[in-house]
Amino acid sequence: MRISTPKQLKELQKKFQDRDNKLAKKIIVCHGPGCLASGAEKIYQEFKKILSEKKITGITLEALKKTGCHGLCEKAPLVAIEPDKILYTHVKERHVVDIIEKTIKKNEIIPELLYVDPQTKEKIVRYPDIKFYSHQTRIALRNLGHINAADIDDYIRVGGYQGMVKAVTKMTPEAIIEEISKSGLRGRGGGGFPTGRKWATCRKVEDDTHYVICNGDEGDPGAFMDRAIMEGDPHSVLEGMIIAAFAVGARDGYIYVREEYPLAVINLQIAIEQAREYGLLGEQIMGTYFSFDIQINRGAGAFVCGESSALMKSVAGEVGEPRAKYIRSVVKGLYDKPTVLNNVETYANVPLIIEKGADWFTGIGVKKNSGTKAFSLVGKVRNTGLIEVPMGTTLREIIYDIGGGLIDGRPFKAVQTGGPSGGCLPDTMLDSPVDFDSLTKAGSMMGSGGMIVMDDRTCMVDVAKYFLSFLVSESCGKCNPCREGLYQLYKLAIKISEGRGEEGDLEKMEKLSDMIILGSLCGLGKSGPNPFLSTVRYFREEYLAHIRDKKCPAGVCRELIRFEINDKCDGCTACLMACAYNAITGSKKQPHVINQELCTHCGACVTVCTRNAIDVF
Amino acid sequence: MVNITINGKLVQAYEGEMLLAAIRRENIDIPALCHHEAVEPYGACRLCMVEITKNEWDGWKNHVTSCLYPVEEGLIVNTHTPTVIELRKTILDLFLASSPHSTVIKKLAAEYGITRTSYEEVPDSTDCILCGLCTRICDKMGFSAISAVGRGHGKEIAPPLKEPPPDCVGCLSCAYICPTHYIQFTDNGKERTIWGKKFKLLRCEKTGLPTITEEFAAYLIKHREIPEDYFKINDLSHRRELALKMGQITQWGREA
Amino acid sequence: MKQDFTTIPSIIARHPRKASSLIMILQDIQKEFNYLPEEAMRKTAETLEVPMSKVYSVATFYNAFSLVPRGEKLIRVCVGTACHIRGSKVIREQFENELKIKPGETTPDMKYSLEVVGCVGACAMAPVVMINDKYFGSVKTSRIKQLVGKG
Repeated sequence: MRISTPKQLKELQKKFQDRDNKLAKKIIVCHGPGCLASGAEKIYQEFKKILSEKKITGITLEALKKTGCHGLCEKAPLVAIEPDKILYTHVKERHVVDIIEKTIKKNEIIPELLYVDPQTKEKIVRYPDIKFYSHQTRIALRNLGHINAADIDDYIRVGGYQGMVKAVTKMTPEAIIEEISKSGLRGRGGGGFPTGRKWATCRKVEDDTHYVICNGDEGDPGAFMDRAIMEGDPHSVLEGMIIAAFAVGARDGYIYVREEYPLAVINLQIAIEQAREYGLLGEQIMGTYFSFDIQINRGAGAFVCGESSALMKSVAGEVGEPRAKYIRSVVKGLYDKPTVLNNVETYANVPLIIEKGADWFTGIGVKKNSGTKAFSLVGKVRNTGLIEVPMGTTLREIIYDIGGGLIDGRPFKAVQTGGPSGGCLPDTMLDSPVDFDSLTKAGSMMGSGGMIVMDDRTCMVDVAKYFLSFLVSESCGKCNPCREGLYQLYKLAIKISEGRGEEGDLEKMEKLSDMIILGSLCGLGKSGPNPFLSTVRYFREEYLAHIRDKKCPAGVCRELIRFEINDKCDGCTACLMACAYNAITGSKKQPHVINQELCTHCGACVTVCTRNAIDVF
Repeated sequence: MVNITINGKLVQAYEGEMLLAAIRRENIDIPALCHHEAVEPYGACRLCMVEITKNEWDGWKNHVTSCLYPVEEGLIVNTHTPTVIELRKTILDLFLASSPHSTVIKKLAAEYGITRTSYEEVPDSTDCILCGLCTRICDKMGFSAISAVGRGHGKEIAPPLKEPPPDCVGCLSCAYICPTHYIQFTDNGKERTIWGKKFKLLRCEKTGLPTITEEFAAYLIKHREIPEDYFKINDLSHRRELALKMGQITQWGREA
Repeated sequence: MKQDFTTIPSIIARHPRKASSLIMILQDIQKEFNYLPEEAMRKTAETLEVPMSKVYSVATFYNAFSLVPRGEKLIRVCVGTACHIRGSKVIREQFENELKIKPGETTPDMKYSLEVVGCVGACAMAPVVMINDKYFGSVKTSRIKQLVGKG
C-alpha cells in the first residue's frame, strides 16, 4: 500500500489508534541496550509463552510489546504496564506469571518490583512520578519505551511521518530550511553547528547530485543515545532524513551505523523496507516529483570515522582518513558532491520541528541553545540511563535530581562530557548550565552526549591516561601531531601515573598539547589533548601528588598504592573470591589478610567489599 | 593572478595554486616533508603550516598547511611567526623521537636548533615518517603496489600481506621520492630488488646499457600503448617521447 | 569455522560491483569465516578491480577485520569510559588469566578470542562484556569463569 495524500495518513493513524485503544492493557518489555544486557529477551519470551498458552480474556499477544530504551537502565530489565504507567524494575523470568496474574488480571501492584526512591525510600508505582522521569523533556527520545521499533504502523499511530508529509506536500525546500534555521536547531553530534545554515549552504551549491548522510557512528565511549534511537525509533531518523533530502535536493541517503550496533542495523533495515512499502521512500514520494532512498553502511570499527570527511571516505569503501577541510564537506563531500551530514539525534528532532513549528522548539531550552539534549547518564551515579533534558538544565539537576546522586552516597568528584574530545568538570561547575556554549567555556564540550559521573575513587590522572590511550589507538596515523604528539602525551601520563613524574612534566605536556591542537589535521587530533587539559586545569593538585609525593589520592594508580585489610573485616570471603591472584587468605568469619608479595593492586577486592574493610594507602 | 602578502611583501600568485608554491617562489625556506609537485598535496607532516589572515578578518588568524591551502585574493601570510616556529620545532622534535637515526630528520631538526629529542624515543623506530609520498606516487603511476597498513601509531607502509608486491614493476619511483631515503633497493645493472621482489633489467641493443625492468616495459606496452620494440634502444629522443606518453605527471595546480 | 572457500564469489556477488562495496564485502566475508582469508581478499580485489594493496590497507585499518582466524567465541571486553571507571581493567585481566591469552589473541584450541572494544553502547550496565552478539551487563569478577563456560 502506498500513502499518497496527507488525508490517507491521518486515516491510517486513526485506524491504528482505534486498534490500540481497544487493548485493555499493554505490557511493555524494554529492549533497550541496558535491558538487553540484563536478559530482557528471556522476559519477553516468557510473557509470550504464557500469554499464548493461557488465553486470558481481553489480553491477546497484541498487548505484548517490545520497545526501545525506556530510560532507567540501572533498574533493568524493565517492564511497564500501560495505560496505567506502572513501572516494574529488575524483573526476572519468575516474576512474569505474577505480573500477569496480579497486575494484568486483577489490577494489583507487585510492591517488590517497584522503584524505590533513594532519598525517601518510598516505593513509586507510576513512572511519571519518579524524579528520574519527571525532570525530563523528551523530543528526540519521544517514542522510546512506547512504540514497537519494528512496526511502522505503531510509529504512524503516535503521529509519525506527519512532519514529513507536511514538508513534502505543503512546504517549499526554502520554507523548510527557513523553519529549521528559525528553530535554532544545532548539530547534536557535538559540534553544535546550526543545522539550518548547513542545509542552506548545501542547497545553494549547484550540482546535479546532493547527498544526505546520517552519522550513526556513535564512537564516544560512554554514549548510547544514538544507539537507543536507531534501535528503538528508527522511523524518526528516516523521517528527518527524508525532510532534509527534500530540503537540499538529494536523491540518495546513507546511514552510517557503528559495527558494534547489530540491532540498530536490523531495525533500520526493517524500517527502510516498511517505509518503501508505504511509498514514503523510493520514487515519487507522496505523488510528487521528489524521489529519495536510503542505504545503510555499517562502520567497521574506527572512531575517527565519526569525523565527517573520514566517514565519507568510509562510505565510499576506503580507509577512513580525514582530509583537510579548507573546502567544507557540505560543498564537496561524498564522492566530491555537496553533502549534508547530521547525526541521529539531530534528524530525530527535525520531524517535530516541522510539524509543530520553530516557535514551539525555541520555547524549550535557552537562548542560542534551543530544544533539548539527550544524554547517557552513566558512571558512579545511582540512576544510570538514557535521559533528555531542556538545554540549560544544570549539571546538578541532572546528576542529583534525575540521577539520584552518587552510588553509596560517595562524594562527587567530576563529570566527564564530550567523550575523548571533551573534559572533566569538578564540583565547582555543578551549577553551570548544560548547553553547547557553557560546556565549551568550562573547558569541556557537549559532544554527542555521554555524561560520565565520577566519585572520589576515580583518579584524574588515570582518566586522562585512559582517554589518551584510547585516542592513540584510534588515531588514523596520518598527521604527525596526532600520531606522534598524542603518543608522547600518553607516555608522559603513564610516567606520572607510575610515579616517575618529574617537575616540569606538566608544563611540557601543556606545551605539547597546545601544539597538537594547533597542528593536527582533523578534529580528533585538535581535541585530543582536552581530557588532559581539563583534568590538569581543575585537578592540578592530584597530578602534583603523583609527581611530588608519589601518591595516588584516589587509590587507583597501581604503582603508587597498597591495600590492607582493617579490623572492620568480618570474614565474608567476598574479597577472597574476587582476587584472581590468590593474594588474599583467611577463613570464613575470620579477618582476612592480603599477601603484599602476590597483590597486583588491581582493586578487585575493594569493589566487592561492602564493609569498608580495605584501606588504600 | 591573485594578490597576496607574504611576510610583508606584496606578491602575485597563480589562480588555483597552493600557498606553498607562492611562498617558495619568493625563496622563502619552509620545510615540507610530505610534499612533492608530482603528486597531490596531502597535509600529513604539518611542517609547512603558516599563519594566515585578511584585513577583513578583524584580527582573527588561522594556521593552515600551505601545501593544501589555495591562494586567495588579499590573503596575508606569515611563514615565520614565533607560534609557527614553535610548532615546527615541536613537530621536528616528535619526528626525532620516532625516527632518531634519520640523517634528513636530524639535519632539519638541527636547523631549528634541536639536536636531541626531548621526548621518549619510540621503540622499533624506523626512518619512515609516514609522509605517504611513496604510496601516492605508486597510485599515480597506476600500480598501487604498496599502501599504508594498519593505523595510528602502528601504521606502516608495506606491500599487501607484507609479501613481495605482485603489482610492483620495479620502477623505483617510491625510493626516489622517499624524503628520508627509507625505501631501499639494490641494482647491479642486471638485476634490481625492491620490496623483496627481484626484477630483470632490459638492455639497450645499441649501447648495452641497462634500461628499465622487464615488468615495467611490459606494463607500458600494455597500458600506455608504447610500441613493443620501443625499449630495444635507449636514446634521448625516445625518452622525451615516453615522458609525453606518460603525460600524467603534471605539476600540481598548473598544466605541464 | 568454515574453510570452504567456494562460497566467496557468491558473497561478493551480493553487492554492486564497484569500489564502494569493498568494506561491505569484507564485512560479509569476516562474518562468514570469522576472519579474512587471503583467497577472499584476492578474489574481492579481482572482482571489484581494486588493487590488492587497497584491500589490504582497508583490512588492516578497521578494527572489525581480523587477518587470522578468530575463535568460536569472540569475547569482547568493553573498555568504554563508563566501563573503565567501573572496573573493566580488572575484568579484562581476569579474562586474560582465565583464557591465558592477551587481547587480540586466540586460544590454541581455537575456542576463544579475546578483544577489547572502545564502547558497545550499554554503558548504563557497566562493566559490559559482549560474547559473540550477546551483551552481558554488570559483570563481576566472580562471574568470569561462568561466562567463559557458557555465553
